[in-house]
Amino acid sequence: MKISAPRSSTSRPERAAFALFLLAAVLPIAASLGYALLYTIGLAGLLSTGFSLHSWTKMFAAGELWTSFGLSVAVAAVVVVLATAGGLVLSLTLRGSIESGPLGTFLYLPLALPYTVAGFVTYQLLAPTGLFSRLAFRLGWVAGPADFPALTNDRFALGILVAHTALALPFMALLFTQLQASERVDRYAALARSLGATPGQALRRVVVPMLLTRAATPMLLLFVVVLGSYEIPLLLGRQAPQMLSVLTYRKWQRFDILQKPEAFVVALVYTAFALAVLALALRRTRAEGSG
Amino acid sequence: MSISRLERPPSCPSPGSNLPPPRGKGPFAQAIGQARRIGAISRGALAAGVCALCALPIALLALLSLAARWPYPEIWPGEIRLDPWRELLDFQHGGLPRVLGASILLSTVVALVSTALSYLAAKRIAAHPARARLSLLAYAPYVMSPVVLGVCLLYLYLKLGLAGTFPGVVLAQTIFATSFGVVFFLGFWNEEKRALEDLVRTLGGTTWQLYSRVLLPISRGPLGLCAFQTFLISWFQYGLTVLIGGGAVQTLPMKVFDYVNEANLSYAALASLLLVLPPLLLLWVNKRLFFRIV
Repeated sequence: MKISAPRSSTSRPERAAFALFLLAAVLPIAASLGYALLYTIGLAGLLSTGFSLHSWTKMFAAGELWTSFGLSVAVAAVVVVLATAGGLVLSLTLRGSIESGPLGTFLYLPLALPYTVAGFVTYQLLAPTGLFSRLAFRLGWVAGPADFPALTNDRFALGILVAHTALALPFMALLFTQLQASERVDRYAALARSLGATPGQALRRVVVPMLLTRAATPMLLLFVVVLGSYEIPLLLGRQAPQMLSVLTYRKWQRFDILQKPEAFVVALVYTAFALAVLALALRRTRAEGSG
Repeated sequence: MSISRLERPPSCPSPGSNLPPPRGKGPFAQAIGQARRIGAISRGALAAGVCALCALPIALLALLSLAARWPYPEIWPGEIRLDPWRELLDFQHGGLPRVLGASILLSTVVALVSTALSYLAAKRIAAHPARARLSLLAYAPYVMSPVVLGVCLLYLYLKLGLAGTFPGVVLAQTIFATSFGVVFFLGFWNEEKRALEDLVRTLGGTTWQLYSRVLLPISRGPLGLCAFQTFLISWFQYGLTVLIGGGAVQTLPMKVFDYVNEANLSYAALASLLLVLPPLLLLWVNKRLFFRIV
């Protein structure tokens, strides 16, 4: 008698859930992005007058899209660099406290803050009449709110950078601390030391590269999340230039109907870029998994 | 020689680990001991400073929610009042309790629907030959800006008559929450679970028995975790709710923005504290689970 082990097959509830997932989540997004694309080339919507690349050429020629894109990419990149560097420093210098001290609990507190609250709190801290300005006044460093440097709604997006970094840095510190343990980084550093490396060389050439390599995918995902952030730049950013999500929403909600295709152009440019970074992150994850 | 068998030489401590006291009593050993003590003190000071910075936002929110008057350049509020907190308990007249109730209802529905859907859909995707491509589909909404996607989705919702309605907001938020859930459960449906399922089938178990007696009991923890996380995704959502809800569906993040625009800082801080409460509760229950979630 031939006995064959049954391979697990998908049952009706799973097929139904999968179909529902495609129907309720994937299909509306695909349809909406398709509609947005057709809208921008004049084949759908109230402004459809036949195929035209007018919206695209107009937006690509105008500086607003590229300034906004550049600002978003720059903010996301700086946040990733600052959070990674700060997280590395905290994790390497305070690993013991993070693993078994109160710091291990306190570092989770910023992770509980939604972007809306983070933006609000950052404003209350960094605004010209905020807490830091009051402290500076008490210490005699400034004579009043006007003397305090502009840290919110400023041209360098410092408030946005501070808010995002304050949320991401504890996450990276906790991530690096976990990686130090799971990747047995100490043992590789010990091997390097036993082969004649100095403590600095072991740190620079073994520990840090190992941690950064393993954290590359979360760093890429953090980049995408900051790139598309809305609440923090809305509260702490300037009217111009605006980050991509804020620009998209502003163009969409204007009464001028001619701005709607432009909103879709910004949305599609952002979507294409975010999906490319996501694909890169997933490829890295798969490569790590198979490596 | 296996790397894992290597022992760390005494001269090569791990970063941040506690070092043994130096042997001997010579001037060199004393200097090393002093340097280590200074290092430990400065690390302690750094840790204390980081702890204070991490707690600062919550402390500031608590102070702001109680401050009746806090003029520049005062460091502390000039006058404390409990009015916003009292109104929180006034369910008949207060606007905040109503919004709080609506937020809880909205997030609970999104959490239940998206967890159930993603649990089953992820099982199908995990066993699918095109798993890699389907994973990308699941990841896409999860990492993308809700506002950008919301702008694109709005036309569809308007056509379907869902814009400005509670079910519309639930559906829109479920898209993002389900994507997260699918990503969350993809790792759960591994070879081990497949082997268990094969075993149940081999023994003649039905689909109902497979779920009720094997899969659901072992999934209780992940299901709870996913439900809480999807609750938080909905709980924190602002841009998408504004776009799809069109102001007709009010949630706590929207109230924070409303109060900020009205320059009503006490109520903005109180609404912010209410927003922070569920994740803090989770942190209190289990911080390791929290890290996996966030």
